[in-house]
Amino acid sequence: MSVASVKPVDVDRLHRDLEAIVGPRRVSMRAVDLDTYSRDMWPRLLLAYREGSLPSYRPHAVVWPEHVREVVAVVKLARELRVPIIPFGGGSGVCGGAVPIHGGITIDTKRMQQLRSVRSDELICDVEAGLNGERFERDLARRGYTFGHFPSSIYCSTVGGWLATRAAGQLSTKYGKVEDRVAGLTVVTGRGEVIETDGPNRALRGPSWTQLIVGSEGTLGVITSARLRVSPAPQLRVFRGFEVDDVAAGTEAIRRVLQRGLRPAVIRLYDELDTLMNSLGSHDDAPAPSDVQGVRAPLPPIETGALPAWPAALPPKPDGVVERLIAMARGKGLRRGAMNAALGRSHLVNKLVGTVAEKIARRGCRMIIGLEGARIRTEIEAALTFSELESAGCRDKGEDPGWAWLRHRYAVSYRMSPMFRDGAFVDTMEVACSWERLLDLYHSVRAAIGQHAVVMAHFSHAYPDGCSIYFTFAATAPDATASERLYDAIWRDGLEAATRVGATISHHHGVGLLKAPYMVGEHREAMAIFEAAKSSLDPDGIFNPGKMGLRSRSLR
Amino acid sequence: MKLHDELVTAVGEAYVEAIDERTWRVRPGSAAEVAEVIRRAGEHKAAVHPIGAMGRLPRLAPARSRVLISTRRLDQVLQLDEMSLLVHAQAGLTGLELERILGPRGLSIGDYPPVVLTSSLGGIIAVRTPGKSSARHGFFEDAVVGVSAVLADGRTVHTRVAPRRATGPDLSRALCGSEGTIGFITSAVLRIHQKPEARLVAAYILPSVDAAISAVYLALREEAAPSGLRIYDHAEAAQHFDGLTLPANHALLCAGTAGPTDLAACDRDLITSAVVAEGGSPTDDELADLWWRRLHAGEPTPGPVPSLQVMATPGKLRAVYHAVLTQTRAVGAATRAHISRFDADGAVMFFTIQRGGVTDEDAVKLAERVVQTAGGWLLGTRAVKLDAYLNALRDALDPDRIMNPGTLA
Repeated sequence: MSVASVKPVDVDRLHRDLEAIVGPRRVSMRAVDLDTYSRDMWPRLLLAYREGSLPSYRPHAVVWPEHVREVVAVVKLARELRVPIIPFGGGSGVCGGAVPIHGGITIDTKRMQQLRSVRSDELICDVEAGLNGERFERDLARRGYTFGHFPSSIYCSTVGGWLATRAAGQLSTKYGKVEDRVAGLTVVTGRGEVIETDGPNRALRGPSWTQLIVGSEGTLGVITSARLRVSPAPQLRVFRGFEVDDVAAGTEAIRRVLQRGLRPAVIRLYDELDTLMNSLGSHDDAPAPSDVQGVRAPLPPIETGALPAWPAALPPKPDGVVERLIAMARGKGLRRGAMNAALGRSHLVNKLVGTVAEKIARRGCRMIIGLEGARIRTEIEAALTFSELESAGCRDKGEDPGWAWLRHRYAVSYRMSPMFRDGAFVDTMEVACSWERLLDLYHSVRAAIGQHAVVMAHFSHAYPDGCSIYFTFAATAPDATASERLYDAIWRDGLEAATRVGATISHHHGVGLLKAPYMVGEHREAMAIFEAAKSSLDPDGIFNPGKMGLRSRSLR
Repeated sequence: MKLHDELVTAVGEAYVEAIDERTWRVRPGSAAEVAEVIRRAGEHKAAVHPIGAMGRLPRLAPARSRVLISTRRLDQVLQLDEMSLLVHAQAGLTGLELERILGPRGLSIGDYPPVVLTSSLGGIIAVRTPGKSSARHGFFEDAVVGVSAVLADGRTVHTRVAPRRATGPDLSRALCGSEGTIGFITSAVLRIHQKPEARLVAAYILPSVDAAISAVYLALREEAAPSGLRIYDHAEAAQHFDGLTLPANHALLCAGTAGPTDLAACDRDLITSAVVAEGGSPTDDELADLWWRRLHAGEPTPGPVPSLQVMATPGKLRAVYHAVLTQTRAVGAATRAHISRFDADGAVMFFTIQRGGVTDEDAVKLAERVVQTAGGWLLGTRAVKLDAYLNALRDALDPDRIMNPGTLA
């Protein structure tokens, strides 16, 4: 990361002016708040943090507006004072998108959190950007709807954060990514104006402002509310586990399902190492839900996975990649040193995958599939989907693995800390491409990361025209500096491999600081259009400067 | 060098045609030639106007040199990826020409109305109209995975092909619908589909247009994904189906479903139950057959081209329909309508507003006002409030305003 410059700001005046806008209780310049808002969940920042280093970048102030009027006033003030604005949601981003590398005013949107309306005739809701994801989904469920967006960060992310990053939920195969569900946005632009982008997409001439602002990660404005499409809550859920010989057979089976026009809510294929890790920390034997065979009660509550137990105690049956790695190490009586030694010989562990793991385990690759929705259609679609999978060589393992996945589906994100505590680091790289290039992408990125780290993968967001791959890697190095160097090398080699194959460098985590250097490789000359949108919506360059590979504008 | 000579250098003499002393039509044969033409036009600050398969001229820039770029020779399929169901086709190929290439391979561009597909792909993508949608495949733009285009400075951009991404704004959506003002689209990567295993059609009679609309949304809520839906009001049904007399105020609903046989049947049954729940009943399927043949097999549709196309969201369809009907009839017009092109955004109403057998222009103008008050969307609506942002976006990419300058301004 390059050292960013923070220009001197008259903090007393800034404090006074912000107080005049939001009152004394919703602005802070206290050190503890500035430290808190100095980072998001980008793993690279945790490496130094772990060693007790103070944050490198802090905002000058944090404000918690409650109304779009206050946001406008803060933006106008920032324009006048020429200080940056960093929109902030739940802080769960994993790419450093909310890090205030040039200081400035962090606008925390979480006090704008009303679900204002749900229109049953239009199937559209109007929701403020700061609403927490889990509460949003619970509020909708109470009214008989779902947004269908279930990222593993759902407890610590906001609707606005999803929109800003083009997030995906675990059931995206049915409901789409967040950008597929937006009917309109309310945005405060860098001109200090409120714009609304609503209107039926196909009826409006000109560029789609909604699609230009979704995914802009706070570089074009602050999203303050959105009109989002909702679906009736599912009447039926069907979940199953399958196994298949290898990744090639598994991806082919998924492709056939999707291209036949079937839309499971979720379909996940784990590669051999991920499958092996799964079996070591297995919940395969978890009992099936006893309420109704194969059918859950309608409107199932969101199951919390490990949340109540986090971070003090680990649940009895560990799930999640990190836990599984630790379980593997600890299951063999290894301690910290031994785990580090194993991660330090990543190429050996990776090699194991193609040979020993597969042969000994004889498990092939594990697949989880779930369908949900209106009762009649879901039943028919499930039958068609399962028979398509079987005809493609997948072996039915019954319902238990499917329900077990559903129960633990949020657990993984909360289990990074033990790994970091033990001196290693872990991160995930989510790339996507067309079916034709998918195995190339899998092998290239796996080889590129495998030089440095233990790497495993699953395929978890499928479309008729392609699929995403979610790589998880773990590695270790003697100290923070060496860890950062290793971390950067993994990302450089992994993303360059993805770009060479013709994949996108991010399917749903976004760009932030992490992938900013690779944006030109991703978009090439088309970056000119992004730059033009930037100069239109944020002419002074006050919004989230230094991110996403945009040219930096000097804040004179 | 004179602009004429530069154009000849760019595309060859055979493909440059002088229309008047400051207007030329060129027919480049490749994306690289398009880039060359635009770069040279830009140096002369000449306006660049795209022309698609229909040869329709946009509003030409007055008082300056003009280069009309025809996409007619950009008519090749560049790549067909049958494994990913993606096709990369040049902008001058029409939808129907592409369909003829895909058909023998068991593939299809999708259940879009053929009238939409008569345009060149570049035109279909660059110009947004509400009719470019299908109940089964959604808005045509959603099928666009990537776009290649030439910017005002002659640079060529290719948006990267991926099923979805999280690497900033969807830059192809700046080009789609922008009518040649942001970039000149030279090719696009589109999602295509396998031909469905089964196709079914059915026709129903319902006690009113409102009941028919309710039935449609009841079925869509049960997640039916029909390949086509159309509601005819009483007068329209009589006009379109010779001799068909529905009971007063009743409506005709035609529905098509497609997909794996079980799903196509399931969707048809879901529609039938929804119709019954709304007090309707199935009728002679021959009506639906005829509707589908007219739509997709080129059988002529009787009657004039509708006088007015109106888009409305699901919650506003009834209000807009009744407002137009009541108020135009109050001034003596004979008004009838069918409703079609349903998707998640809503549907399109096609009104025919006549007096003495010819279009009643005054009543049409009245209807346009009525539509806006009732919350509908007229063809060609712009987000006028965002004009300042669009202008700034154009200024950044095209400071001399050479790209289709009279459009979206």
